[in-house]
Amino acid sequence: MSPDAYLSLASILFAIGAAGVLLRRNAIIAFMSIELMLNAANLAFVTAARAWGNLDGQVVAFFVMVVAAAEVVVGLAIIMTIFRSRQSTSVDETSLLRW
Amino acid sequence: MTPISVVDIDYVALAPVIIVLVAAVIGVLLEAFLPEAARRSGQLLLTGSAVALAFLTVLIVAASRPFGPIAGGSLMLDGPGLFLQGLILLTSGTAILIMADRRVDPGGDAFAGRVSTLPGGEEEREVSRRGLMQTEVWPLMLFCIGGLLLFVTSNDLLTLFIALEILSLPLYLLVGMARRRRLLSQEAALKYFLMGALASAILLFGSALAYAYAGTIEFAGIAERISERTTANTLVIAAVALILVGLLFKIGAVPFGQWVPDVYQGAPTPVTGFMAAAVKVAAVGALLRVLYVPFGGMRWEWEPVLWIVASLTMLIGSLVALAQSDIKRMLAYSSIANAGFILIGVAAADQVGLSSVLFYLLAYSVATLAAFGIVTMVRVPTGEATSLEQWAGIGRRSPLLATAFSLILLSFAGIPLTAGFIAKFGVFTAAITAGALPLVIVGIVASAIAAALYVRIIVRMYFTDPVSASAGVASPSPLTVAGVGLGVALTVILGVFPQPVLNLVEQTSIFVR
Amino acid sequence: MNAAWPIVALGGLAFAFAAFSVVIAAFTGPKRFNRAKVAAYECGIEPTPQPIGGGRFPVKYYLVAMMFIIFDIELVFLYPWAVAFDQLGLFGFIAMMLFLINLIVPYLYEWRRGGLEWD
Repeated sequence: MSPDAYLSLASILFAIGAAGVLLRRNAIIAFMSIELMLNAANLAFVTAARAWGNLDGQVVAFFVMVVAAAEVVVGLAIIMTIFRSRQSTSVDETSLLRW
Repeated sequence: MTPISVVDIDYVALAPVIIVLVAAVIGVLLEAFLPEAARRSGQLLLTGSAVALAFLTVLIVAASRPFGPIAGGSLMLDGPGLFLQGLILLTSGTAILIMADRRVDPGGDAFAGRVSTLPGGEEEREVSRRGLMQTEVWPLMLFCIGGLLLFVTSNDLLTLFIALEILSLPLYLLVGMARRRRLLSQEAALKYFLMGALASAILLFGSALAYAYAGTIEFAGIAERISERTTANTLVIAAVALILVGLLFKIGAVPFGQWVPDVYQGAPTPVTGFMAAAVKVAAVGALLRVLYVPFGGMRWEWEPVLWIVASLTMLIGSLVALAQSDIKRMLAYSSIANAGFILIGVAAADQVGLSSVLFYLLAYSVATLAAFGIVTMVRVPTGEATSLEQWAGIGRRSPLLATAFSLILLSFAGIPLTAGFIAKFGVFTAAITAGALPLVIVGIVASAIAAALYVRIIVRMYFTDPVSASAGVASPSPLTVAGVGLGVALTVILGVFPQPVLNLVEQTSIFVR
Repeated sequence: MNAAWPIVALGGLAFAFAAFSVVIAAFTGPKRFNRAKVAAYECGIEPTPQPIGGGRFPVKYYLVAMMFIIFDIELVFLYPWAVAFDQLGLFGFIAMMLFLINLIVPYLYEWRRGGLEWD
């Protein structure tokens, strides 16, 4: 099995996710894009695990899933707090801090 | 069905991490079962004793355990790792002292009474009338410290990632918990979360590519595979680049550190101090290990990148700091500039460079903590006086505080007889011996710019007439005094008698591979 | 190929049972049409609380969802342990018990601090 195609797919997903974080203005969507990046990494990990015939990559994938869930909880809590304070999840409107 | 061989775990060598994390879990239980009135004192006792005990354990481990992989090779016990663990516990302990203070702010400590209440709402006023405090802060701190301890000793890509998350997730929450200016604080938390999660994801994808290249996640295995290579390989170069970006994000180097000023300004000031000190120490420690151990064989590929990043970080950090009118933002840019100086030592990529970085981290982190501790004390009725204008004439009303702050600023500027001078001298020397003269020249220019900035603040404190909105100095509790005093004392002592510590960092500065 | 037979058989059984239940219910069940039948879940109780103005769901759903995620995802570590239970022996057992204790701690926190109460 050649892992190249899978690694390419993972890279494309990763790039889509990164573009989403940097370009989209809605915190929830930026956040979903980060999840996409993590899952792209997971795909690369399991592909490499298969190609090398060892289990390390699959173990990492498990851990990444758990970490992603923990990140969801923390992230949604923060986004929710902000939403409750100002009724919006737009990243642009949160602009008390200047650059 | 043959039994799977059990991994060999050296529990003594692992004890500092275990102590801190078990204390964090107990802290959560205390939150669940202690009555509200007893929570704060219980948590403080637990947190303080756990960090102190862990620090003692680090000393014991350093004296008694043989260096080598522990916990089945996931973690590495070696000189730099132990030194950084000790430094993290020292700075965290100091940060905890400053955090625990509830006298400088008449409302309580630096954290919102109930984070869940709406800023400016009726519920919030009720909470502050009853004097409630959010005590979950302390278990969160302990989890974060546990993550930091793991981060600097991690010996494979998975542990590196998990440690990064353990330290980051509590920090995202801590950033958003300020008592004053809560909207600003919440916004900082959101920014830090999005940027931090992006950095983690980039680091993770880099790890995935490194694993795809090497077939193992262990640092030693990756190093071996890289040493065997004969041609350039896109996969491994992409892997190093992504991992480097992820870690430089955490360090706050230009161009990846745009989040730093916003987050440092919005976060509760003691948390800012903790981030600027302990978290930066851990991030640099992890960067050192990753660059020297698994990717040491690719030095010629990553060194030029590091040169550029270090130069940009020093110059932009110092220049933009000049334009700031807010003391916390100014200190944030100053911490970016300092990250640049640290990267000079990292780029030297030899034992001298490593030991100079370790010393720099010590000198920088204690001074930074003290600086943010002092910022918590200078206040106007609505909170901290973060506008630099309000600092005019502080030196006349509170000479002791102004002297302490001046000493720290002089150390940042690298004036002789302060720790900052020895530290900068160390990284510059290391860089010259490693042949990075251009980098040193940029460093000296940046130092000169930064010195102008720090002198300007000192002038403002002593020689400017107070304006009508000038800040007063709150009388702090012994906790803050102890924290700030320790930082200032170390800054002076390390500047005058640096030799014992210089010897120590020289002995410890070898990574076990 | 033989290894797949139990799965196919199980799938067939499941399908047969589902089909049987639907068909037999159509023949034997009493039929009384009223308003409760058209309500969500056919139980006569409207799901509460309703989204305000029909658009956004109340924040409580997110809290429950967050709690569900965090406790649910830990299952991924139990599966590999269950598969290799015999080989991992006592060490694996103790390690997983410690893991589960660590899971119970936040649950206790959640429960004591009122995170599990709907109102």
